[in-house]
Amino acid sequence: MIAGLNVITDNLDYLLWGRLAAGEPGGVLLTLLMALGAAALALPGGIGLACLAWRFPGVVRNTLFLWAELIRGIPLIFVIFWMWYLLPLITGGDLPGAMTVTLALAWFSAAAVMHSVLSGLSALPAGQYEAALTQGFSTGQTLWRILLPQVLRNILPSLLGIFISLLKDTSLAFIVNVPELTTVAGQVNNRVQIYPATIFIFTGVVYYLLCCSLELLAKRWRVTRPAL
Amino acid sequence: MPALDWHGVLTGQPLQWIISGFLTTLWVTLAGVILASLLALLFLLLRLSGGRAGHAIVSGWVSLFRNTPLLVQLLFWYFAAWNGLPQAFRELVNADHSWSVLPGNVWWFAPEFLCSAWGLGVFTSAFLIEEVESGLRSVPDGQREAALAQGFSAWRLFRYILLPQGLANAWQPIVGQYLNLMKLSSLASGIGFAELTYQVRQIESYNAHALEAFSVGTVLYLVTGVAIGLILARTGPSIKKRTRRPRAAIANTGSENA
Repeated sequence: MIAGLNVITDNLDYLLWGRLAAGEPGGVLLTLLMALGAAALALPGGIGLACLAWRFPGVVRNTLFLWAELIRGIPLIFVIFWMWYLLPLITGGDLPGAMTVTLALAWFSAAAVMHSVLSGLSALPAGQYEAALTQGFSTGQTLWRILLPQVLRNILPSLLGIFISLLKDTSLAFIVNVPELTTVAGQVNNRVQIYPATIFIFTGVVYYLLCCSLELLAKRWRVTRPAL
Repeated sequence: MPALDWHGVLTGQPLQWIISGFLTTLWVTLAGVILASLLALLFLLLRLSGGRAGHAIVSGWVSLFRNTPLLVQLLFWYFAAWNGLPQAFRELVNADHSWSVLPGNVWWFAPEFLCSAWGLGVFTSAFLIEEVESGLRSVPDGQREAALAQGFSAWRLFRYILLPQGLANAWQPIVGQYLNLMKLSSLASGIGFAELTYQVRQIESYNAHALEAFSVGTVLYLVTGVAIGLILARTGPSIKKRTRRPRAAIANTGSENA
């Protein structure tokens, strides 16, 4: 085990940022980029869908629920596969692998964000909406200025949970050979062959530290405290 | 949009791969569910009875396996832990055994199956522990106090009073975790385990019928999930049943006394 530590120090650059010098980020850096990119897409997307489902109960909401059920009912790998094959058909050109996986993760997480925001909206006292209406706010203004600020504050713990899952799910890029942390660790393992335990324990520790530090930050910023 | 050709997927060799992969997924899900449930039960008992050390061990277990990706865990079990096992045991597993073949020609006593089932079981157990524990927490205190007053021992209190009610309370999230295990078994294709996802990709490289193969895989996962969910929701303990049970229990004790 101690002897195997060399394998980490020798490949540390590669494990942390891949071939960054050649303009191809990889390793931990790519993991973080993909997680942040997917979150940046899924958060506004999920909030927008939740607002749609909240504003238009009936066909729109049922369609969105059905979509979310479909997404939740199949393995995330299949969402990635579908993106992998359908996106080039739609866009007509090849997308970089990391981009495809990021889009798939965003697509998957948007459904979770939508459900979370929607349950936050329905948990607010109805008086908030009614008071805003009597004050002459339009529906859009009510959502944007009255309801969403409270909801987002209330559901921060759940959003954090979604982001942590997202961070762990970037490891699925291994299956389609996008060089984030897990793939890079697999490559190093294939090349070195004799220290699999060291390599994969190191990989696990990196993910563990990332996830736990997110939780710690959340506690320090007191995001787990409800607004009301 | 290319024209879809289902014939290339639903006949001959590809069809056999799909059937074999589907059965493998079902078997590994079953093995993983059993393993996860046993591990969760074991760790719950440890947490409830093990004092501070037991509490720390269980918290460590839960935190460790919840905060690392399942795929990394599977790679660790398969590439690292497996090779750390005694040589004699590995040779035993690699040898052919007639009792290792499950219906559908699935070999359970094989490194890939064992590592996948173990990895999935360990990962899911960390989530089950939390679900069952929150189910146990919502059992009213009076239940525990009444059982203690009736002279129940700690084990019988857990087995006959707390666990049945805790499971009934948490049944829905537990089923959710089992379904999750079924879907996550797709990750075992990453260590070369020939389940449904692996076979679907094999068809893709065999005759390039990727979209058709993925459609079949998607539908199979969806249908299996819905079917398992319905069956477990029907057969599992529910809170409705629980309210009926006291009457039956009273009737039974009555007949015993008579």
